[in-house]
Amino acid sequence: MRRRDFIACVGAAIAWPVATFAQQPARVYRILWVSTASQPDPFLEGFREGLRARGYVEGKNVAFELRYTLGNSEALRQITSELRRGNIDLAVSGGPATRAMMAVTDVPVLFALSGDPVELGIVKSLEQPGGNFTGTSFLSLELAGKRVELLKETLPKLRTLAVLSNTNHPGEQSEWRATVEACKQFGITPVYVPFFGAPEFDNALGAAANAHADALLVFPDAVTMVHRARLAEFAVAQRLPSMFGWSEYCEAGGLLSYGANQRATYFWLATYADRILRGESPAALPVVQPTKFELIVNLKTAELLHVDLGESILFRANRVIE
Amino acid sequence: MTRPRRSLFFKYFITLFVAAVVPLMLGAVSEAWFGYRDQRLHLNEVLQVEARSAADKIQTFIDDISDQLGWVVQFPWSQSENDRRRIDALRLLQQVPAIVSITLVDQNGIERVFVSRLRLNRIGRGEDLSDDPAVVGARAGRVWYGPVRYRRNSEPYMRIAVAGNRAAAGIVIADINLKLIWDVIAAIKIGGTGHALVVDDSGRLIAHPDISLVLRGGAGSGDFDRLKSNAGAGNGSAVTTAGDDGKPAVALSVLANNVGWTVIAQQPVLEAFESIRAMLWRSLLLIAIGAIVAFALAYWLARRMSGPIRQLEDGVARVGMGQLDHRITIASGDELEQLAVRFNQMAGELAVSQQKSERINRLKQFLAPQVAELVEHSDQRLLDGQRREVVAIFGDLRGFTAFSARAEPDAIMAVLKEYYEAVGAVITRHEATLIRFAGDGVMVLVNAPVACENPAHLGMRLAIEMQAVVQSLADGWCAAGHAMGFGVGIAMGPATVGTVGYEGRLDYTAIGNTINLASRLCSLADDAQILADPAVAEKVKDSIPLVSLGERTIKGYDRSLRLFAVARSGAPGRNPGRQLQRVGI
Repeated sequence: MRRRDFIACVGAAIAWPVATFAQQPARVYRILWVSTASQPDPFLEGFREGLRARGYVEGKNVAFELRYTLGNSEALRQITSELRRGNIDLAVSGGPATRAMMAVTDVPVLFALSGDPVELGIVKSLEQPGGNFTGTSFLSLELAGKRVELLKETLPKLRTLAVLSNTNHPGEQSEWRATVEACKQFGITPVYVPFFGAPEFDNALGAAANAHADALLVFPDAVTMVHRARLAEFAVAQRLPSMFGWSEYCEAGGLLSYGANQRATYFWLATYADRILRGESPAALPVVQPTKFELIVNLKTAELLHVDLGESILFRANRVIE
Repeated sequence: MTRPRRSLFFKYFITLFVAAVVPLMLGAVSEAWFGYRDQRLHLNEVLQVEARSAADKIQTFIDDISDQLGWVVQFPWSQSENDRRRIDALRLLQQVPAIVSITLVDQNGIERVFVSRLRLNRIGRGEDLSDDPAVVGARAGRVWYGPVRYRRNSEPYMRIAVAGNRAAAGIVIADINLKLIWDVIAAIKIGGTGHALVVDDSGRLIAHPDISLVLRGGAGSGDFDRLKSNAGAGNGSAVTTAGDDGKPAVALSVLANNVGWTVIAQQPVLEAFESIRAMLWRSLLLIAIGAIVAFALAYWLARRMSGPIRQLEDGVARVGMGQLDHRITIASGDELEQLAVRFNQMAGELAVSQQKSERINRLKQFLAPQVAELVEHSDQRLLDGQRREVVAIFGDLRGFTAFSARAEPDAIMAVLKEYYEAVGAVITRHEATLIRFAGDGVMVLVNAPVACENPAHLGMRLAIEMQAVVQSLADGWCAAGHAMGFGVGIAMGPATVGTVGYEGRLDYTAIGNTINLASRLCSLADDAQILADPAVAEKVKDSIPLVSLGERTIKGYDRSLRLFAVARSGAPGRNPGRQLQRVGI
């Protein structure tokens, strides 16, 4: 056995130089970044950071093509045809943009979805996506109820909750249903304030103002993300304690947020980007779910709203903005 | 001459080359073997340490969680303390990131508190969990580890249940996200690409640096199970097997006791034996260089050996063909050079000896063979021109002119042959010097070039014997009808002797009065008569009977000379039948 190993080792030694010659020359990979949000984009920064950590240098071996459509469906269709031309190695997208790209089958697409990608139909299963799509899911559905619960714990007198939701977002209906379910348990009346894409956003704010709600719940989404500062201002002006899905909303002035760290998720997504660029098929890369969910609390906003955040909330906060 | 089948050059070359290369190769092979063995031992140690440390870390990870869970089951349950327990559970959730949800069960097995990171919390009396295997297990063994489950067939989870040290304290059940073990496993690097992985007892992957393999939810567990059993076959020592990527790897497995998982540390064979490979390449390079040097050296040495031998062989062939002036130049400074020097000496000596034998052959023209040898070996100056005391003997056939006018050439040559042979034999026997045969005449010299004792005596005896043998021949000729006789003249005195000749033709000759006198005496002599001058007569008179013929005038001489004839034993003219043409005095 030993001797056979030894001989095999010697054999491998002779064959070794052949293997070294088989290395591929460096080339510039083209990554198409499709977003319905707008710049500056913290998610893009996270993704870029992740690529840098994997040894990619922009302009040297990777080049970004950025497409910000702000909910413009015509622009999304154009991107789809652009993808079909075949000069793109990888597309990265989230939310409605991912749905728009479902027609594309020959370019690998990395997604970051809040909803369930199996339900959306872009992957066959989480463990074996089986197509050209893979990425990460934030499990927003499950978290929707959790957000209502946290809001109730913060505001025990909560009775009416205004829910601002972009109906253009994939999985939005399920998220709404989960929210209604949770509200029922806590004796809260949800007031649904839907809007379809960016153009209807201003109207939606008006509707939310007229809802006579005790608090505001905003579903995480590209449009609300773009307008997060306006939303925070609006909530303070309307004296509405607000709950969001991502930490960026809190940083912009929202009161609370509970969800996965988006930036970290996009940072991690770069490892899949690297593997796909190296030739792995997205079909065999399982969809990854986040393991860490963070509760962010903005104390400045709490002071402005004269909301008293109990210790039971504060000790659970992963980050407190003071 | 045929060339040898295997040349000396080839033999030397092969021998020298093999002598240099074989030890080199043996050295390289043994070095490789021992290097491999050492590396194998080293690898064993490294893998053992890494696998053990990974297993320890995983055990610590799990033990930490169970220890933390122990905090919430320290006090017995009472009514209306759900909220305090809920805070405890939330704090625990805050403290241990791997816990996804916590269920607190009271002593009756009823769920009292449920907190989760994802799902809605529940407070108050809930389901009866007393038949849940977690509750049963924790009650039996205080700490219970559930099997690994893959949520939605992808994310690995397991439940841990911990019972308080009193039954009243109830039981805590925690749902653990095993993806967090990734931090532990990913931190383990063995060499450049070696890593550790964790599988459960049925070979399902729990932790791997490539998290996507774990997220396949137990798919490919057959491969991992095989790796587990292969690595386990080593019983704590490293085994070469197909790694988790199917490529050959060196693997070692260690059991994490508390959860019953197997930690496998593996390193690709190519990398594990990288240093060996580098060494092998170095050795190969050395062998190649060694072979080239050995080749060059062997070639050079073989050339040095066989080149001079060829030269010698060629020299021998040339000398054998008579090219005696051929010389070999070898400057190798060794025995071969010595041999070449000897060879050159030999060729020189051969040339000298050949010249000598040529000279002897020439001497034999006029000297008896033994005299010729003597002259050659004693002193070459004997042949130089000089004036010395000689005895000259002339002989001449009587009646030959008439015979030769009559007879056929064959008969003439036959007579001459008989005559020459007989006279020659006599001359040789007496070691005298034959100056020449000229037709029917012969001239012989005694005491030159080789001196002898009593030359007159020797010359006289030679003359007598010569006369005797020719007379006996003459009898035969007469019988054949050719009447011929023989006369001899002998004189002694000083004469000039020496060699004279041209272009390789060399004669020894004598000039002087004595010679002329002997020639005259020969002319005067009758058939069967030997005429001697006074000088000879004086010397031999005591031993040979002579008859004085009185004073005679001789042509060319001023005064008359007293002549002597050898007294014949028989009557003169014993063959009266012969009619000889007399030469008048």
